[in-house]
Amino acid sequence: MNSKEHLSPALKTIVWLLWAYFMGCLFVMGQSSHTISGTITDKSNGETLFGATVFLTGTTIGGVTNEYGFYSITAPEGEYVLNISYMGYTDMNIEVHLNQDLKHDVEISEFSTKLEEVVVTAEEPERAILRKPEMSVLKMNVATIKQTPVVLGEVDVLKSLQLLPGVTNNGEGTGGFHVRGGAQDQNLVLLDEAIIYNTSHMFGFFSVFNADAIKDVKLYKGGIPARFGGRVSSVLDIRQKDGNSKKFALTGGVGVISSRLTAEGPIFGDNGSFLIAGRRSYVDLILAAAGEDNRVSFYDLNLKTNYSINRNNKLFLSGYFGRDAFDFAGIFENSYGNGSGNLRWNHIFNDRLFSNLSAIVSRYDYDLNFDQDDFEWVSSITNYNLKYDLKYYLNDSFSLDFGANGIYYDFDPGQVQPTSPDSPVNPLTLDQKRALETGVYINAEHKLTDRFTAQYGLRYSSFSRLGGQPIMEYANGQPVIYNSELGIYERGEAIGETDFSRREAIETFGNLEPRVSLAYLLNENSSLKMGFSRAAQYIHLLSNTSSVTPLDVWTPSGPFIKPQLSNQYALGYFQNFLDKSYSLEVEAYYKTVNNRIDYIDGSELIGQNTIETEILNGEMRAYGLELLLRKNEGDLTGWIAYTLSKSEQRTPGGMAGGPGINGGNWYNTFFDRTHDISITGSYRWNDQWSFGANLIFQTGRPVTFPNGQYQYEDLSIASYAPRNSDRLPAYHRMDVSATFKPRKYQNKRFKGEWVLSIYNLYHRKNAASISFGQNLETGANEATRTAIFGIVPSLTYNFKF
Amino acid sequence: MKKIIKIALTLVVAVFASCTDVVDVEVQNGPERLVVEASLDWEKGTTGNIQTIRLRKSTPFFDTNNVTDVTGASVVVTNETSGASYIFADQNNGEYRTTSFQPILGQSYSLRIDYDNEVYTARETMTSVTNITNVFQDREDGFDDEALEVHVVFTDPPEEGDNYLFKFQREGDLLPDLEVAEDEFVNGNEIDWWYEIDDDDDIEPFEPGDVVNIEMYGISRPYYDYIKILIDQLGGVGIFETTPVAVKGNCINQTNPDNYAFGYFRLTEMVKTSYTFVENEQSSN
Repeated sequence: MNSKEHLSPALKTIVWLLWAYFMGCLFVMGQSSHTISGTITDKSNGETLFGATVFLTGTTIGGVTNEYGFYSITAPEGEYVLNISYMGYTDMNIEVHLNQDLKHDVEISEFSTKLEEVVVTAEEPERAILRKPEMSVLKMNVATIKQTPVVLGEVDVLKSLQLLPGVTNNGEGTGGFHVRGGAQDQNLVLLDEAIIYNTSHMFGFFSVFNADAIKDVKLYKGGIPARFGGRVSSVLDIRQKDGNSKKFALTGGVGVISSRLTAEGPIFGDNGSFLIAGRRSYVDLILAAAGEDNRVSFYDLNLKTNYSINRNNKLFLSGYFGRDAFDFAGIFENSYGNGSGNLRWNHIFNDRLFSNLSAIVSRYDYDLNFDQDDFEWVSSITNYNLKYDLKYYLNDSFSLDFGANGIYYDFDPGQVQPTSPDSPVNPLTLDQKRALETGVYINAEHKLTDRFTAQYGLRYSSFSRLGGQPIMEYANGQPVIYNSELGIYERGEAIGETDFSRREAIETFGNLEPRVSLAYLLNENSSLKMGFSRAAQYIHLLSNTSSVTPLDVWTPSGPFIKPQLSNQYALGYFQNFLDKSYSLEVEAYYKTVNNRIDYIDGSELIGQNTIETEILNGEMRAYGLELLLRKNEGDLTGWIAYTLSKSEQRTPGGMAGGPGINGGNWYNTFFDRTHDISITGSYRWNDQWSFGANLIFQTGRPVTFPNGQYQYEDLSIASYAPRNSDRLPAYHRMDVSATFKPRKYQNKRFKGEWVLSIYNLYHRKNAASISFGQNLETGANEATRTAIFGIVPSLTYNFKF
Repeated sequence: MKKIIKIALTLVVAVFASCTDVVDVEVQNGPERLVVEASLDWEKGTTGNIQTIRLRKSTPFFDTNNVTDVTGASVVVTNETSGASYIFADQNNGEYRTTSFQPILGQSYSLRIDYDNEVYTARETMTSVTNITNVFQDREDGFDDEALEVHVVFTDPPEEGDNYLFKFQREGDLLPDLEVAEDEFVNGNEIDWWYEIDDDDDIEPFEPGDVVNIEMYGISRPYYDYIKILIDQLGGVGIFETTPVAVKGNCINQTNPDNYAFGYFRLTEMVKTSYTFVENEQSSN
């Protein structure tokens, strides 16, 4: 923990050094160079393309478009051919006579319809993969995601990502995902830059992202660029489509669980476009028809619109609203959901300096309404985020990202409100918490030689826990104490509290986060990369259950909970072979996280105002080897992904004394998976039929089973083994899908397709959990397995108009 | 209230997870431990002189041998203020009994067990309980509004910090049900505590004619913390429940601390009643 004041001299020096260095680079720049810049878009719908490669043929000068499709490359005066390529699109070559700064906005087209269904999964065109230092990044395009066989036909971004190395879940039907042995709350999930706090619908059966509204998905498993901060494990950057700027279009689908409809088209003349996408489940209607009293439903609404003021100024407005609602036979109702909005202003200062200013708000809340007991329980987290990002394309070997952001958080950990005068429950409000998180960063992408490229940057983040609430004080400063007689951890003795006014900070933290990665091109087809990144995380999701639930609450760092700090080292080898139709990616990583809290035995988090009495401070470590072999071209495409990994946690007693959780020894995290193999294939048989299949094998997740029993109070009581020292049986399943596009639609504007998918083809009863108890009739102990999905066939109809 | 929120979560899971079956699983074998069931419960209106302590051994989890009685131990309870001690005589069936115990509310007592050359000790305070003011039946409440439930009504004392243990057992059922309550959100209020048996494959909800025995204990906070974990872990743990642990009670092995005992030395005041379900609803007694 460093106070802000302490760090600022050091920080200032560093900033000055960096500035001096960058200025140095500036003057090295040749005199007779010129810049070509512009935007790359899809010809059919005007969507800007992120990650398209722009190259001057015959040179090593080139770049990749940013999130807004913008590129800028600088080269010595001369005659060139500008080559633009993007996976799934036809290459475009433009002759340029570079004797002055040029603007070239380019539209490129998707491959002809015949090839349209080819699944392309390379994260970027091969040339770029090898040269760019960016590593540990998974990019999936929506076409791939849509082709993956899924449960109940619900296309799911998160489930598709889990087929790639380094990404796992915590069992079927549980929310979220885990990246490289990290916890769920260590992922920063962004939808159009807005933080999404809960990624699941129906407690984790489906994810909140409607694939019809999404343009691209990028997951940073490591090597997180300096412009991102706030989480220690990964960043999932999801961008919504801008909307078709060429013509009005409708897409939609009818599935077993939900239906979707997306409308998009141009507005403001030629100067803008919009997209509105809606998805709603109708399980509730089915339940009603089946005479069930319980109701389950969810919906999503995605909105996006943009307006080009002029060539250099463009505004974007995007929004997302999603909600789940449960009604249990009128006993209680539960609803929860995310909402977010983002107003962005893209401004191009000149052909080398691109900027974006975003004002973002996002919120997650839940509500439990107990009709019968006449009370309501509500909780929420809201943040307001202002960020300004700039990219400066200095010359053909140097570009710079820099910017700043500030997030203000409002935490409402919980309120109980009686809903009628005769409610047996007293009103209660847990302490409302507030915090401010800020960050400044600078990052350079620097081509040192033709073979050697480096990306290096620095982020300084700071976090102030703001006042306006009391903070409890404990005897000897110990919120948790070890009772050495009984050998258990107990809540500390509160001896008073300090009130902090809204104007003062309760505690302030600051961290320097260096991020470095290097790429060395071994030859035309292979490269070596390595990276180091450090990240700080200031807000934490409180959850003492093996799976995160929608009712878990986020809490800020403060006097009792320190910011999590991670260091990750990664090494990778990348190769394309057989004429680039195959690619191999191998990465090894080692990651440590300091200040990872865990919960004492018998911890109580529901309605808990003093979280500090329930936790101990510990650490995590994770390491692994990831292997991804892909076939990128041909009628048969797909990949084999294998991850060998370990993820552990240790929680010593620390201030509280005693040995700590699990005797102070390392124990497996809930999401440790030794082996994780996914084989995914998709085969295009002819114009009408294509097929997909997944085969998945994972080591069972760590659990805690009984290691003895005894009689007490006329019951058999199980005594449990050390934390997470057992495992569920191995998880495996196979899914298949078939897509049929009727021929009659092939040359029409209206296109339709049927997708038949069968999840868990051989009906394996994979254990989601195994619980132990007494048989109510015989009294004998037994183990009961809960399996969530057996074989699940489903049929979906999708259309495009 | 916390209980309600937890049950709510469990219900959500139950709706989705329709497929459960009994499977064979290999489990680890932990150390065999002494199990102390030293529940000195003083029923209101009685002298509380006769008290029994049970000593057993723990067994492997799937062991069906229930004969684990411990004999030959010496068991003594002492009033920590007066120094009066009560020797619990070995009945040679795992039970140790006294007929002269003097219960005093708010009094702390200590327990000493000498067994197998090791000494176990524990301390606890006798905790009072309020009276049950009404017991009635209804169908409206509970998680199934067609199933009968029994309501136990009592008034929480104004002072904060009361903790309760309920034991419900339908006559003819093999196993009792335990529930705990605290007054955190309901301090000083009249509390209507209901108990319902969920319709399950193995067990039927309450029906008219059924008799349910109800016991309500006043328990100390440490015992509440202990029994709550124990109850939470009964019937196993699912994906939305906390990691189960080896629950440690208050009996310390003074000779060899690692060889601690399971179970608890508790002293409670207790009220009990029973209720017979009838056809005619909304009746009070």
